[in-house]
Amino acid sequence: MRRGGVIAETRDLEIGYMRKKTISVMKDLSLRARRGELVALIGRNGTGKSTLLRTLVGLQPALAGEVMLDGRTLHETGSSQLPRIVSFVSTEPVAVRNIRVRDVVALGRFPYTNWIGTRTESDNIAVIAALEATGIAALGDRSIDSISDGEKQRTLIARSLAQDTGLLVMDEPTAFLDLPSRYGIVSLLRRLTREKGKCVIYSTHDLDTAINEADRIWLMTGDGVTEGAPEDLMLTGSLARAFESPLLSFSVNDGTFSFIRGRQNTIALEGRGKAAKLTTRALARCGYTTDPDAPRIVKIYERGHMTEWVVSDGSNEKRYGSLYDLVTDLPGNDQ
Amino acid sequence: MREGSTRIAVSMAGLFLLTLILFMADMLIGSTQMAASDVLKALFSSGPAGDEIIVMQFRLPKALTAVLAGAAMSVSGLLMQTLFRNPLAGPDVMGVSSGAGLGVALTLLTLTPLFTLAEGSILAGWGVILAAWAGAGAVMIIIMAVSARMRDIMTVLIVGMLLASAISAVVSLMQYFSNEVMLRTYVIWTMGNLGNISYPQIRALALATAAGLAIAFTMVKPLNAILMGETFSRTVGVRMQRTRIILLASASILAGSVTAFCGPLAFIGVAVPHIARLLFGTADHRILMPATALTGAVILLLSDIISVMPGGGHVIPVNTVTSLIGIPVVLWIILGKAGLGRRF
Repeated sequence: MRRGGVIAETRDLEIGYMRKKTISVMKDLSLRARRGELVALIGRNGTGKSTLLRTLVGLQPALAGEVMLDGRTLHETGSSQLPRIVSFVSTEPVAVRNIRVRDVVALGRFPYTNWIGTRTESDNIAVIAALEATGIAALGDRSIDSISDGEKQRTLIARSLAQDTGLLVMDEPTAFLDLPSRYGIVSLLRRLTREKGKCVIYSTHDLDTAINEADRIWLMTGDGVTEGAPEDLMLTGSLARAFESPLLSFSVNDGTFSFIRGRQNTIALEGRGKAAKLTTRALARCGYTTDPDAPRIVKIYERGHMTEWVVSDGSNEKRYGSLYDLVTDLPGNDQ
Repeated sequence: MREGSTRIAVSMAGLFLLTLILFMADMLIGSTQMAASDVLKALFSSGPAGDEIIVMQFRLPKALTAVLAGAAMSVSGLLMQTLFRNPLAGPDVMGVSSGAGLGVALTLLTLTPLFTLAEGSILAGWGVILAAWAGAGAVMIIIMAVSARMRDIMTVLIVGMLLASAISAVVSLMQYFSNEVMLRTYVIWTMGNLGNISYPQIRALALATAAGLAIAFTMVKPLNAILMGETFSRTVGVRMQRTRIILLASASILAGSVTAFCGPLAFIGVAVPHIARLLFGTADHRILMPATALTGAVILLLSDIISVMPGGGHVIPVNTVTSLIGIPVVLWIILGKAGLGRRF
């Protein structure tokens, strides 16, 4: 697909903190993001994802280099124009009770309203459009403390949308959400890029959805940030290198990580279908790999919706009614 | 949305009416028994001279002071609660009143000997007000610095209480070195008193309150954003540094002026904003700020009426009444479903 022009760009950016002395987190960052693109910023804890995002939206100063938004540096844009170019959803918890969802979203109109915050017709239209785009139109009159965490996150995203910026930056918008809500949020972000032509940059620890949904990944490691399509990073092995550890291995086939088990025993497996697949999985967790030549054999019998496992080692035979019983009884399952 | 704003308009009008009614009631009730008709006659200066003195020199100034002080302390509390994002913030609980008190004590206990302690000399002037502003502002800045480092609401409150204790220790020390007359003036001041305020003082209080409220009202838009958090505010375009200074100044002017003339009024600042939130069910400062000002006037008028209720010339200190009203509200915030008052 064709994508729009570059909306966010960093040039030899150095990020970090200026306290008593300057603490550099990372330098020489040259990254890009285009309109209509979903960009996922991933990396391990403490690599500086939040610092990068906060520098990008002008919440903290760059130590060196430039952030260019919409073709102009942050300085050229100025703090009064910046809220019309980029909006930011942080991890700050909402600590207000007596406020309606609609009014939170309307705060996104802050850069456009007069001194007392009167909403004009066009402000109201923008608020309604944002509520509808994020799927919370029905919640407009509910108070913020009466809705779920997923809906709260949608409210904050709607606020960001009401701010009417080309670039939306979000720090871990899916943290603390359950699996369906996480997918819901990421597919919403993706829809905003496709239907509204927004550029959305979000940080996440949810690799699965990032790899599946993002157009571009900014992969942050101790050495810097690597960018590319998820598959580019899988191909070059950057993804694997960033997250692999003695306990984790990355599978390029399905783009998932799995535990590396310790000492391996072998066992032969006879059976088919779902039951066999799940048996292999349960066995793997206990340090068993399947091998047709192994002396110990597991046979799976399925009668109707009853399943039974029979383990034989030549002389003895034992029956089990569940995988739990089977694996707890296996020798060597003590790791 | 329409019906919501109608409800708010009706509530606001009702509150305004209640303020007027209580204002009149406050004029009618006092330690001297007076018929309503006599009070009215005195007001429009056609009654006996004795009545006129009681009404014009005592009751009217006291009722006016209650309205001004109630509105000013409550709005000061509202500003502090939003700025520090702490539902338990208030000029009295965080030591701001004590700071103002230190300013007053410094002027009362050190400067007084230089002037004659005539009624309406230094107390009437702006000297005390300015000293109270400075004291209140200094404590406000310390609390701001602490809450920037410590996110925990309770920590900030404890620091505020320690500050208040430290200041009262300093004041005690100063009392030790001051003479009896000065001491008596100061002790009466600490009990919280809406009476004994002259018209020049009321004029000063009215001017300061009007200025403080006007400044506060220009900040309703950023206040609404600040409620959502600092990062939120900055990214929608609130200039935090500037906003913070203006809010601190306004809250200090409001609390400082009242404290200078009426003493440290207990629990009005922390409790009233919550009563207003409860009444109006909103966190929108465009509504909440006038609502808080009116509710504050109502509560303090009510407290004043209760304080002269015993009759027979007895008057309970107004601080006792405001504490009895305010403490249950604070307890309700701490023990309420919001748990330790983390939310508004």
